[in-house]
Amino acid sequence: MIDQPTASVVVVADAGPLIHLDELDCLDLLNDFKQIMVPDAVWREVQLHRPAALQTSKAILLRSIVPNSSPTIDALTPLYSLHSGEREALILCSAAPLSILFTDDTAARLAAKTLAIPAHGTIGILIRAIRRRLRTKTEILELLSSIPRCTTLHVRPAFLAEVIRDLEQKAKNL
Amino acid sequence: MATLHAEVPQQLWQQAQNMVDRGWVSNLDALVSESLQRYLESHQEAMTEQFIREDVEWGLRGHD
Repeated sequence: MIDQPTASVVVVADAGPLIHLDELDCLDLLNDFKQIMVPDAVWREVQLHRPAALQTSKAILLRSIVPNSSPTIDALTPLYSLHSGEREALILCSAAPLSILFTDDTAARLAAKTLAIPAHGTIGILIRAIRRRLRTKTEILELLSSIPRCTTLHVRPAFLAEVIRDLEQKAKNL
Repeated sequence: MATLHAEVPQQLWQQAQNMVDRGWVSNLDALVSESLQRYLESHQEAMTEQFIREDVEWGLRGHD
């Protein structure tokens, strides 16, 4: 039996995973969480680049207005060259005691690490789907292979091949 | 702007001060800022890939 994810966990999404999961037709994987908070700046960014991702009925996306400032995150913003969406996402996360940030941006992940906020990207969300039995291992391996062809997520091809080999090994019994 | 407090080896500090004195950079604040920026840029790909490795582990064995 699969455990339900912790209901009290607040999931905040940056633009990258919303766009990349939609490119892979996998936004339904976010449905495994109670709701996904999308900061207003992120919402506008996705609206500009991939509006279809926001019109989906596959996940509950909650457009969230973010408080104007947070001294800690305002200090980190220039240090990590964070954009407004990433800044707002971190403010939302830091306001919730149990939160996860979904982002594919390295600087945002570094800033999240500084703030002790767990952060994961599109590839992690895809692989999690095996554990949560939302997709088979074969389906996820195919989706990972299709990343360069079907998405705007930039991963060095040799590294992606390494990730796929690693996953095949580690998920042998799944 | 953020304010940093850091301890650095005396020799490294002296080298940095010499760069400022010789006019390579306008002041120590600019030198530290540019150094950080260059470090982050040069390590970006390695960090990105390390995060993806961590994502594989979370994906397979995480609890959320």
